[in-house]
Amino acid sequence: MFLAWHEMRRSKLRFGLLTGAVGLLVFLILFQQALLGGLITQFIGAVRNQSADVLVFNDQARKNIEGSIILPEQAAAVAAVEGVAVASPLGESTFTVQADGSETDAVVFGYVLGGPGAPTTLSAGRLPTADGEAVASEKDEADGFGIGDTVTVLGPGGTLDLTVVGVARDLNYSVSPTMFTSFDTFAAAKRVRNGLAEGTAVLPSVLAVQVADGADAEAVVERIAAAVGGVEPLTRQQAVDGSPGVSSVRTSFGVILGLFYLVVPLVTGLFFLIVTFQKASALTLLRAIGARARTLVVALLVQVVLVMALGSLVAFGLYAGALQGVKNLGVRVEVMPVVVTSLVVLALALVTSLVAVRRVLRIDPLDATTGAGVHL
Amino acid sequence: MTVLDMRDVRKVYRSGDAEVVALDHATLAVDHGEIVALLGPSGSGKTTLLSIAGGLLAPTEGSVVVDGEDITGHDARRLTAFRREHVGFVFQSVNLVPFLTAEENLLVVDELGGGKGGRAARERARALLDELGLAARGSNMPSQLSGGERQRVAIGRALFNNPGLVLFDEPTSALDTQLGEQVMELIRREMKARDTAAVIVTHDTRMTHYADRVVRIVDGRLTADPVPA
Amino acid sequence: MSLKLPLRELRRRPTRFLVATVVLAFLSTLLLFLGGLLDGLYLGSTGAIRAQDADVIVYSSTARDSFLRSRITADVRSEVDAVDGVDAVGGLGFVLLGADVPGEADPADVAIAGYELAPKGVPEVSSLYDGQGVADRRLEDQGVGVGDTLLIGPAKTEVTVVGWVEDTAYLQQGTIWVNLATWRQVQNANRPDAAVADDVVQALVVRGSGDLAAAIDTATGGATSTLTVEEAVLALPGVEQQNSTFNQIIYSTLVVVLAVVGLFFSLLTLERLGLYGVLKAVGASSGRLFAGVVLQAVVVTIVAFVAGSALAMAAAAALPSGVPLQLEPSRFVFTFTALLVASVLGSAISLRKVLHVDPAAAIGTSS
Repeated sequence: MFLAWHEMRRSKLRFGLLTGAVGLLVFLILFQQALLGGLITQFIGAVRNQSADVLVFNDQARKNIEGSIILPEQAAAVAAVEGVAVASPLGESTFTVQADGSETDAVVFGYVLGGPGAPTTLSAGRLPTADGEAVASEKDEADGFGIGDTVTVLGPGGTLDLTVVGVARDLNYSVSPTMFTSFDTFAAAKRVRNGLAEGTAVLPSVLAVQVADGADAEAVVERIAAAVGGVEPLTRQQAVDGSPGVSSVRTSFGVILGLFYLVVPLVTGLFFLIVTFQKASALTLLRAIGARARTLVVALLVQVVLVMALGSLVAFGLYAGALQGVKNLGVRVEVMPVVVTSLVVLALALVTSLVAVRRVLRIDPLDATTGAGVHL
Repeated sequence: MTVLDMRDVRKVYRSGDAEVVALDHATLAVDHGEIVALLGPSGSGKTTLLSIAGGLLAPTEGSVVVDGEDITGHDARRLTAFRREHVGFVFQSVNLVPFLTAEENLLVVDELGGGKGGRAARERARALLDELGLAARGSNMPSQLSGGERQRVAIGRALFNNPGLVLFDEPTSALDTQLGEQVMELIRREMKARDTAAVIVTHDTRMTHYADRVVRIVDGRLTADPVPA
Repeated sequence: MSLKLPLRELRRRPTRFLVATVVLAFLSTLLLFLGGLLDGLYLGSTGAIRAQDADVIVYSSTARDSFLRSRITADVRSEVDAVDGVDAVGGLGFVLLGADVPGEADPADVAIAGYELAPKGVPEVSSLYDGQGVADRRLEDQGVGVGDTLLIGPAKTEVTVVGWVEDTAYLQQGTIWVNLATWRQVQNANRPDAAVADDVVQALVVRGSGDLAAAIDTATGGATSTLTVEEAVLALPGVEQQNSTFNQIIYSTLVVVLAVVGLFFSLLTLERLGLYGVLKAVGASSGRLFAGVVLQAVVVTIVAFVAGSALAMAAAAALPSGVPLQLEPSRFVFTFTALLVASVLGSAISLRKVLHVDPAAAIGTSS
């Protein structure tokens, strides 16, 4: 510790630059991970955080809930498949609504109250128990989607009021304010928007399936696919991953994050290798006067840990600051990802520092007398 | 004719409130073709004297004239050019550019002076290496040369620009006695052949008989009579 | 001034620069990748608007600058026509839909755009019959060919592709440019809830001179909201936020480049202090030695950039086509310039060290 700390204090510029570089890199990793998570949640949170184990799409819909429609005979056939406990309609559509006095777009999901398709991340209030009630995405609470607010669906067929009775986390869909209400309310909203007569039937977008106790969702998916024509059943996770846009966003960010994860340990490893080479003569001297190789290795590793820890602190500061700037993405500062990311880069940095450790271990104290270790 | 003419040179270092006199009213003149050994223990001021004679340091008082050029008032830029053109240096051990061949280490001097490393320069470098017994070593890297060979390359570099004065800083300290003597012999031969003045700093009295004259320095004062009769 | 020395060191001792080059190459790839993604998202979202050969775009004031929500009636249009300085007015309408492509299992994502004033590169609308359209070249990837009749949306409205246009995508979908009648037909058949009457369009593109935006919004009594084409591009959903987020990441990465170059070359300089002492003693100036450091940084950056570009292009080729990565020549120029600036600034950290090397230190030192 003594050696490690004193060297760092004497070479402030060097270690400062390294810490700064590591801090920025870790910050960029954290920021982009948060952005990726935030974007995906914004696009698809409503699908991820609803209770159906399996969602059955129209096979023409390309896993896009917006373009899917389920016919009554398909719904009946799915309900009859072994392992399906409940198969109830789930509707989704985008509406122009009046909230907090201004017009905006909002996505409304309609599910059979008490059945699958209910929001699972309720953070305040309650789930709807009657028509006309809705749970809204927590992110849009302040924009007229808070508990007790009334959101009005507008259309040529008049208006329809929804009362927010609860809010749930990460419930957005397609980056819009999102509400979950009863399927009948959803159908009524669609009739208002499309100017359809009272009582006109509205078809569900997808089926929300709850599998029987003990049944495996993936097995049920396979059985539905085999038994029912014209549909594409997906587990909740498959539906999230397969959503248009999500996979391409994942791939792009995956490549970028991978490169960042590669650069951090390379920079650190390179730095400590060069520094070790430069102080080879000092290290030789220390070995000659009786320092154990272990002591020198520990000093080196302590420096790696210190630099990475300081860098992670810098990163966390930048991260917390930067997230203020993208608040509307619904990204939250969470400690866990920071800790995990910091530990991962620390581990990687320690691995690449092994090259420098090897150099330290190869130092021969005898060189101090012949001077061989003094010249590089 | 005098090549190096130092008169009443004083060099004072300040550290905090204390003053350290490194060189005290030193007067030294060296003629063309003359070899002067500067002998003294460490801390005696011999390094300071050499640095001032070579235009590496400015004196606090006194005057320094080399090759007829008074460098006493020169600024850093003019000193740099002066060193490049008029003085040759051979240091103790850090002497050669490690990633250049022996021949290229000589050509560095030409390049630093804005030369193009043309055919004339290359021929001169080869001739010098040949003279120094390194004809076969021109394309070797410093790491492939022995200690004696490295010092010989350094001597070649010092002579490359035909300086009037060559300054040697313990040129044999890293060598064993036999090699040291060979190098000293070589220095003497080359200086005499070119009629070049040389100041050789050493603490090795075995090497002093290669010099025409020995000047001793203790505590910043030259003790032998430095002006030749 | 000869700078052979630093170049020779690079050539003779490439390994000592290798890791720095590798790190910078990865950083170059990252910068190109981030930039390419930004460009891809930007170009793919905004093509149809950027292509507009017009000065301003007029939305209805309730539309919040969205084509989807905007409706311009014939009355408003005639008010715009009458504004001083207005030379030409054309209707514009978009609808985003899936389309069945003959011979393809998967439907293509298309944007049907109805127009009157031809955008850049798009033929005059009079050359198109009803039911015909010119398609954006990016639809070629989804199996669309000239002569194909696409079935648009759930209503399977027929549109036949009669030619290609470049760089006119709209919100990541390939645009098919049709006349306003065809657009209305597609819109009303597939989006009955958002049907438009025969004399209604979503927005107007206007050519003219003077302060058009203010003049038009005044003339319509506030019924319209008029944006310049540039403003309209930025008003597209997500575009402005995307730009700022990605640029933030890109500039932060450049700071990392600066720190890495600074770090690496200051370490290298530290290692060379003894040598610099000798070189200064034999007549090298500080300026020349420092120029050598900068030159090396620049060469390392160039090599790293070339390697990083190759890596980025290889990665781009290996990615699925759904990733909106687009490597534009301008992005390479920007990245290269930015890297050079960062590496010169980074190597400048070594300047102080080089200046402070005392040539007198070459004397009396044994190592």
